[in-house]
Amino acid sequence: MTAALLRFELAAARSGRTAPFFAAGFALVCIAIAVVGLSAGGTITVQGFARTSISLLQLILWVVPLLALLTGAATGAECYELEYVAALPIRRSQIVLSRWAAWVTALGAALFVGLGSAGVVIAVLAGAADGFRYVGLLVVAGLLLSACLAIGLAVGIHTRDRGRALAFAIVVWCVLAVGVDLIAIGLLAILPAGTASWPLSLLLIANPVDAARVLGIGLFNADAVAGPTGAALRAMMGGWRVVLLVAGLVGWTVLPLVWAARRLARSDL
Amino acid sequence: MIELRQVWKRFGDRVALRPMDLIVRAGETVALVGPNGAGKSTALRILAGVVQPTGGTAKIKGNIAYVAQRLGVPQTTVVADLATLVANARGLTQNAVDAALASAGLGDRMHSTLRDLSGGQRQRVLLALATVGNVGALLLDEPGISLDLDGAEHIRDAIAAARQRGAAVLFSSHHLPDVAMLAERIVLLVDGGIVAQGSLAELAAAAGVPCNAGLADPPIERIYRVLVKRSRGIGPAKAA
Repeated sequence: MTAALLRFELAAARSGRTAPFFAAGFALVCIAIAVVGLSAGGTITVQGFARTSISLLQLILWVVPLLALLTGAATGAECYELEYVAALPIRRSQIVLSRWAAWVTALGAALFVGLGSAGVVIAVLAGAADGFRYVGLLVVAGLLLSACLAIGLAVGIHTRDRGRALAFAIVVWCVLAVGVDLIAIGLLAILPAGTASWPLSLLLIANPVDAARVLGIGLFNADAVAGPTGAALRAMMGGWRVVLLVAGLVGWTVLPLVWAARRLARSDL
Repeated sequence: MIELRQVWKRFGDRVALRPMDLIVRAGETVALVGPNGAGKSTALRILAGVVQPTGGTAKIKGNIAYVAQRLGVPQTTVVADLATLVANARGLTQNAVDAALASAGLGDRMHSTLRDLSGGQRQRVLLALATVGNVGALLLDEPGISLDLDGAEHIRDAIAAARQRGAAVLFSSHHLPDVAMLAERIVLLVDGGIVAQGSLAELAAAAGVPCNAGLADPPIERIYRVLVKRSRGIGPAKAA
């Protein structure tokens, strides 16, 4: 991938309003969660990093995949409008890769600005204890963003049409955010006791949102609330589960990108 | 040189281009004309590499300069970023692409987005960047569409310049006076196949149209009408 192509794609990613809105929205919500979280006691108090992060994790698991899938789907479908660029001596795989990299950079920066500005507020008002865990949460969010963008790009390149790509992306988001959990619950109900660990562990790795959830919860030593798939993975893999989950998220980035690049290379623009 | 050997294309059930042979030599200018849906754009897009042929082989010697009917770049693209991309992809210096833009009268629009430019300026940016450096084949799909007189003249100059530098030029157009002025050979496509080709005089002879008609009825338009009608009504016209 040439630096010029990446710069070209970055300029396109920067020119929209998605990233600034995302950054501002995330910052506001993060600060609101930090400030409002303890207000039920009658006084406004700023929560520390640990409590805020646990609250933020759920927000990240819903918002980041949705935004990344929608952005990926739209920009994937728009690859078919790059006739002029595709006629230059540039491989189509380079177009896909640079597009993904540009959007990971733009949305990753927005995520960093959003969570980072909230982090500064929390550190000033509530102290820096558990700050490293907050940074860990940022890394988990980045991994989830990168995987969901790659899946979104694959969806957009597969469907070609922007409208259909966005609809398909929402369906994928529903499956990842809710559908896989329902399957896990169903498996627990159907499979005989003691035989569900492997299927549930595979299901966890097969779902980037679940993988990010278990990784995020693991940051705060709160495995007990990781759900049936998280418990199954802990029982099966012990200390290796973090490596496996990260590898799963990386896999969910690499495989859709490879598929999307091959698909675009074989397609007519 | 541009070479198409038995190239054809099917989109779903529809055959957009029937097996087609065409050679455009270095320094030659050939125009593709024909009604909408005749296969002109498909042939050009196959040569540009943005569409895969269903069968046959398409070859081009040297760098391809292609300007499509649609923009082919996001409208939010900054001219300078596109220039850098083209320079990098084609192994040119930044100075070379900047000079090409300057000579097209766009040196002061380097930091504008394509959206900020007029249709004619956009076309000039794309053409200037496509033709910079050593170009083996210049492919233009409806280059004069929606351009004013200056814009159309710029396109004509770019085609003439590319031809002088030894590029094989293949363009499609509905603007038949431009075709008569620029093309040494005219290829008439109807319903996905070549029905006639040759110089204007050869096509006039094939159509039985005298070449001395007045400006109110330019002969190329009468030639075109006769040959298209004949290809549809009586069967394919013989090439001149």
